[in-house]
Amino acid sequence: MIRRRFPWLSYLLVVTGAVLTVVPFADMLMTSFKGPDEAGTLPYRFLPRAFDLSNYRAAIHQLDLPVLFRNSVVATATITGSVLLTSSLAGYALAKLRFPGRDFVFRLVLSTMMFPPFLFFIPHFLILVHWPLAGGNDLLGRGGAGLTVSIVALAMPFLVSSFGIFLTRQFMVSIPDEVLEAARMDGAGEFTVWWRIVVPQTKPVLVTLGLLTFVDAWNEYIWALLVSTANPDVMTLPVGIQFLQDYVDPTRTLPIVMAGLVLSVLPVLVLFLLLQKYYIRGVMLSGLK
Amino acid sequence: MVNATLAPESTERAARDRSAGLGVRVRARRRRRQAVVAYLFLAPTLLFYAVFLALPLGFAVLLSTSRWAGFDLGDIDPVGLDNFAGLFADGSTFLAPILTNTLLFALGTVALALAGSVLVATCIDRLRFQGLWRTLYFLPIVTTVVAVGNVWKYMYQPGGLVNGVLNAVGLGSVAFLQDPDTALPSVVVVQAWASVGSAILVLTAGLKSVPESYYEAAALDGAGPVTVFWRITLPLLRPSLLFVCVTQFLTGLQSFALIIVMTKGGPGDATDVAALEMYRQAFSYGDWGTASAAAFVLFAVVLAVTLVQLWLFRRKGEDA
Repeated sequence: MIRRRFPWLSYLLVVTGAVLTVVPFADMLMTSFKGPDEAGTLPYRFLPRAFDLSNYRAAIHQLDLPVLFRNSVVATATITGSVLLTSSLAGYALAKLRFPGRDFVFRLVLSTMMFPPFLFFIPHFLILVHWPLAGGNDLLGRGGAGLTVSIVALAMPFLVSSFGIFLTRQFMVSIPDEVLEAARMDGAGEFTVWWRIVVPQTKPVLVTLGLLTFVDAWNEYIWALLVSTANPDVMTLPVGIQFLQDYVDPTRTLPIVMAGLVLSVLPVLVLFLLLQKYYIRGVMLSGLK
Repeated sequence: MVNATLAPESTERAARDRSAGLGVRVRARRRRRQAVVAYLFLAPTLLFYAVFLALPLGFAVLLSTSRWAGFDLGDIDPVGLDNFAGLFADGSTFLAPILTNTLLFALGTVALALAGSVLVATCIDRLRFQGLWRTLYFLPIVTTVVAVGNVWKYMYQPGGLVNGVLNAVGLGSVAFLQDPDTALPSVVVVQAWASVGSAILVLTAGLKSVPESYYEAAALDGAGPVTVFWRITLPLLRPSLLFVCVTQFLTGLQSFALIIVMTKGGPGDATDVAALEMYRQAFSYGDWGTASAAAFVLFAVVLAVTLVQLWLFRRKGEDA
């Protein structure tokens, strides 16, 4: 058959591309083992002289890695939990409950997706800084640092996802009304119907949404950078590692930075490899990233 | 006799009326209760929209038409459209090079990612272990921009991998990120590298929907692989290609995280893009008005592209 005529050419191309994709990761890993005089010096050498873990130990101490890790985990868990909860509640209301204004709310959800995130960086930051009665602010939001003093600032602009609401709503529409009606006849309230019937039936889409949200939140950089400039205590992994890279002598710290990056990338890579079926479906549903 | 036949009928009707009246009342009560529950379920979302969508949008509009030093909210000075005029005034760097950089960055990324993903996707379609290949190509997408940016920045250094390869094949070193002429293309390559995986994903899905019988018919007619690619694969892939083009272009117009990590807009303003300029005007120079105005100009560009996208897809839908 025609499509099998030149597989060697296809193999060559696909493997070359795959090597180009993986090589930067390999370089990151190899550099993380190099000594201070080995990285960035001429001539370039791919392999380190020895595979010792001193850079990893240095990363954990110099970067305060446990603190960065904790901040990343708290922010990511808060965002993912909140997105799952609010999406599935709102999605259920929009898919299965009848109430005046339903079409309007659904159109509102869709139209919010049109606004690009960069439009919100400045006003979100200013709103959090001037949040009334928080972080030393008065009632008019003056005088203090507002909510930026708290780690919740990392999560706040991402607590609700319009895409998540849309996604769960589309899946919940296909749940048969008879099932829900039967439960209501048996005296179940809407909250019970949602928790006992709707949530279990939409588990696959919730896993997909949770995974997409988790990866995005874990990798988020710009917002975390803004909050960290106001309050360095809430630095996340990407921000903390970039901070070391920018402000400490780069030639000396490069291998340590790479070690930190390996450690910060690892959790997401493992999660992706384990659950990639769900993740890939999510990317297909959401379009491109 | 008449009574005897009428009586059960009328009581039946009365009973029916009663139960109907009861039903209407029960249903009305249930409908009211459902409306209350629905808005309870929607409450967190609507509250979020009010505080993190409506309020910020209003605030952004206010800031873009004001001068403000950034401390006391009472000191916001309305200046009309001065901030916008400033962006397009003579001597402003916003139109050129910043907006042109933005467009070049987005276009370059689309071109590279599209070429790469079309090649790889059509080839993957003929191979075994398709899942494995796709997973590998997908790795950059789940990796934080800080890792991608720093690794590539290091690879572009004189002692880095790219120059190491160039030297090994007898070529001289290139100062990729330090030379204003090569800085933007170098960053474009990284952005394309990082986004090619999702394009491959969309395109392979598109390829799967091409009926096998088309290829068989082409084989019977003796068409070569190049003809098949140009005459069958590419035309049938058009919706997927269009989708990849527009979404990647939109992403390209907005991205600046990679540039912050790799070049911070430099050298000079060789890699400065609109979203980065917005960020720097606000958070480095404290010029919130100019920054907000820049955000709205970029938003207008993004919105125009989005509308073109909707129009293209709707027209395509009517054709089908």
